[in-house]
Amino acid sequence: MADLVLRSITKKYGNTTVIDKLDLEVKSGEFVTLLGPSGCGKTTLLRMIAGLETIENGELFIGGKNYNNTPPQKRRIAMVFQSYALFPHMSVMQNIIFGLRISKAKPDIIKQKLSWVVPLLHLKGLEDRLPREISGGQRQRVALARALVLDPDVLLLDEPLSNLDAALRETAIEELKRVHRHVGKTIIYVTHNQVEAMTMSERIALLNAGRIEQYDKPKLIYDFPKTVFCAEFIGSPPINFVNGEICVEQHYSGVKTEIGFLKLDRERTEKIHDLAGKKVLVGIRPQSIYFIEHLAQRRHTDTHIALTVELVENLGDRSLVVGRCGDGPIVRFIMTREEDVLPERKMTVFVDGRRIHLFDPLTRLNIFRENGTI
Amino acid sequence: MLFSKQLPIAYNKRFLWAVGIILAVLMVLGPVYLLIKYSISDIGSINTGGEPIPLWPYNPTLQSYIYLFTDKHFYQVIFSSFIVAFSTVVFSMVIGVPAAYILGRYHIPGRKLVLLGIISVRLFPDIVSVIPITEFFINTGLHQTFAGVILAHSLLALPYVIFIGIGAFESIPLDLEQQAWVMGANRYQTFMKILMPLAVPGLAAAAIYTFLLSWDEFIFAYYIVFGRQELFTLTLYLNGIKHAAPQNLLAAISVCLSVPVVIFSFMVQRYMIAGISTGSVK
Repeated sequence: MADLVLRSITKKYGNTTVIDKLDLEVKSGEFVTLLGPSGCGKTTLLRMIAGLETIENGELFIGGKNYNNTPPQKRRIAMVFQSYALFPHMSVMQNIIFGLRISKAKPDIIKQKLSWVVPLLHLKGLEDRLPREISGGQRQRVALARALVLDPDVLLLDEPLSNLDAALRETAIEELKRVHRHVGKTIIYVTHNQVEAMTMSERIALLNAGRIEQYDKPKLIYDFPKTVFCAEFIGSPPINFVNGEICVEQHYSGVKTEIGFLKLDRERTEKIHDLAGKKVLVGIRPQSIYFIEHLAQRRHTDTHIALTVELVENLGDRSLVVGRCGDGPIVRFIMTREEDVLPERKMTVFVDGRRIHLFDPLTRLNIFRENGTI
Repeated sequence: MLFSKQLPIAYNKRFLWAVGIILAVLMVLGPVYLLIKYSISDIGSINTGGEPIPLWPYNPTLQSYIYLFTDKHFYQVIFSSFIVAFSTVVFSMVIGVPAAYILGRYHIPGRKLVLLGIISVRLFPDIVSVIPITEFFINTGLHQTFAGVILAHSLLALPYVIFIGIGAFESIPLDLEQQAWVMGANRYQTFMKILMPLAVPGLAAAAIYTFLLSWDEFIFAYYIVFGRQELFTLTLYLNGIKHAAPQNLLAAISVCLSVPVVIFSFMVQRYMIAGISTGSVK
């Protein structure tokens, strides 16, 4: 086990910069996810850590040692490829012990490792099968077992669940969490799936165009997105954005927006005192807009807005409602199943003033975070 | 209603297909049948004195084969052919497989030019390239030697070995190679333990092809051996006696020429299983 430090790492293909002066620190034993849309450089970054891509600039430290020019064979890392890359001509067992054989491990050590990893990943009875004779989920576990027996300092996982169907993915997520708790390895996990990232990681590095937008605990990324990109990328259904202007008056502070005046909670109100008149981008998650029949039940920080329902999408246990405020922008929000709505209905909903995000439209940064307040 | 209208058309089509397939099979098997028939014919079924030649010999006999296999010289000829073909396979694989690996895996500068150079020998008819090559062999002392024939056959086979090999290595996902590196295997170990076993089907195809190419090659062997009887391969032997020997003996020699080809093809057939790498990379 070891910590991992990237300092000002840069990767270029010709004139295109894929990764730009990226810094990242991963504590020993931590589970960190590199999350981002396709083409953001997350897999490239992982491959640079593995030694499969050269590092143009910057430094890579594993356990305090510089690994910039170490070939992949000499790095104490293990990697699970997106394709699993199981050797098709070797049985499950031969696949698992391939690395041990290469490093000339003694037979009793190999035996001991096998008796540890085979039950851990539920591979009993599959040892003599060929990769093509086992299911996708089993292949994924063999790939993981093969990485674990090498006892790596850092374990790299490149979208290992993307080839599994939804139900299997759920179990695989639980499995991975269990294995991480059990072996306590430093894990770098690459995915574009925010659910995987949110459920498994201790910290998420959200990547966009070769830069880290935010590096935080999953809950913090969701509750306090640092940039407009973070707010857009995390959360489902996607966050609502409306234009607004900060309004500071004696008894009347908040944001004036296209969908009406929105109140903020006291903590936030205090923080925008000096920003009167500033244009802002207002982000409201669908989960922060709610419907109640009785006005009296609302909190004093909530603001009501009127809208016309355009579309109702059934999500099973709840519904996603798409409404429009007059001729203004579209607003998405969530309703429970009991509250039945139909298109064309005019209704009043409430916006939770404690969960409104304000972004600077130029710097795209969260205003509250920028002021060092949250 | 609909079916009764459509069925006859489908039936006619199927009939045409069947006729086509049967004709094709007959065209392929016809010469084989003639060859085998002649090789077991008694002399009376060949020299019929004006009567039409029968579809099956009057008195089938293995006399031609018995004659051949009691002839010491014939053993020597078969052995020569085998030595030349086998050496050609070994030599062109040893040279061709590493070349195919590098050309298939790494984008070396001038790759296209190298490939063009490799294939260039096959861009000309054999009869055109045989003259300068024989000339060169005369000057270097390889004329009228087995080494010369093996070298010439390897020259003919190498483009195929390299091109089939490139295809075989290119079809192996890069992930497998890199996974082996990450697991600590150096390039040599990766090549021997991962790439070679997976390339075996393609390489086996190249090996069979090389063997067959050398086994039944005539023009180069003819010019390079140039009448030196103790170096005669089967094709040269057949050529040498084609005017003197009766048809049943010539047919028997031809069968002997074909049998190893068939056997060799069957032997390596099990490596030709399609989709050996399914299940490794999804």
